[in-house]
Amino acid sequence: MSGPRSAPRYGWRPGLRVGVGLSLAVFPVAVSFGALATTLGWPPVATIVCSAVVFSAGGQLALLTAMAAGSGVPLALGAATLINLRFLPMGVAVAGSLTGPAWQRALAAQTILDGSWAAAYQGNGRYDQLTMFGASAVQWPAWVLGTVLGVVAAPPPALVESLGLDLVFPGFFLVLLLDSFRTIPRAAWIASLAVLLTGGLLLVAPTGVAVLLSSLAAFIVLIGRNRSGPGHPGRPGAGAGAGAGAGEPA
Amino acid sequence: MNIWIAIAGLAVINFVIKATGPALLGDRALPPHVSLIVHSMAPALLAGLLIVQILGQDWRDFDWTLLPGLAVIGVLWLLGRSQIACIVAGVIVCIVIRALV
Repeated sequence: MSGPRSAPRYGWRPGLRVGVGLSLAVFPVAVSFGALATTLGWPPVATIVCSAVVFSAGGQLALLTAMAAGSGVPLALGAATLINLRFLPMGVAVAGSLTGPAWQRALAAQTILDGSWAAAYQGNGRYDQLTMFGASAVQWPAWVLGTVLGVVAAPPPALVESLGLDLVFPGFFLVLLLDSFRTIPRAAWIASLAVLLTGGLLLVAPTGVAVLLSSLAAFIVLIGRNRSGPGHPGRPGAGAGAGAGAGEPA
Repeated sequence: MNIWIAIAGLAVINFVIKATGPALLGDRALPPHVSLIVHSMAPALLAGLLIVQILGQDWRDFDWTLLPGLAVIGVLWLLGRSQIACIVAGVIVCIVIRALV
């Protein structure tokens, strides 16, 4: 029964509440990022600055993974960029709900995070920007502080392995991947092909190249889809958050 | 130095990706085929990153003890558990497996 005392679903306060829950999920991932980056030889300050200015779990992990495997900056940036490309349609989706001149909307769009974006959706293509701001405002310090903790307490590789912490990143990628199955047509086909493609490429090409070329799986499946008939047309905004779960900061 | 260049580059790219829609497009939507391609990149890249994490260059990093943990994560995801619950359970299974072998 909903009465006049029902708590509002949108606005700063509801956004902050959502953000606290999301922060609990992103914090351990941030700790793991800080620890792994330190173990792989990233300078502590650079690791923390990375979390502060990039604020994107998927992108940061892609960058770290590629660079740790010896890929150059262009390849590592390419892999990280492809992961973060999903923010493009998410930004398009919220564009009509953001107020102010273009530069102000561009700044406001920086608060787009997967969980915040989803929490701000009001239906009918509208988003509540205060909810999104509130949810993101809590996650940013959690992400940075988690990274600091990971850097400071960076456990040695043997301890990382015995504590199962080396499962955190593949596990994180796995849940994001599974989340994408819910919203992206033929995602399972795309992922299966990408697994085969990447697995094979890792034997003959550098890691960064393998990651970048895994994106070809999407094109191959989409080409096959077009040849066998269009099926469901792509819906702008549909599944824009796919590939990232509520636990990913950005 | 390369690390700093990569961090700065990714920060700028991330800013531009997020800002493009609200700053330039306003209320207009992406063309459907462009939107579909952008969406479809996510599962491909995530699967690629997953495999890289599991296998490593030339498959040198493969460690079978990760697999039971990943399997548990998949099962719990199917049961609708939260992202963090899935990962924590997977880590626990991984610890147990490694303690046993």
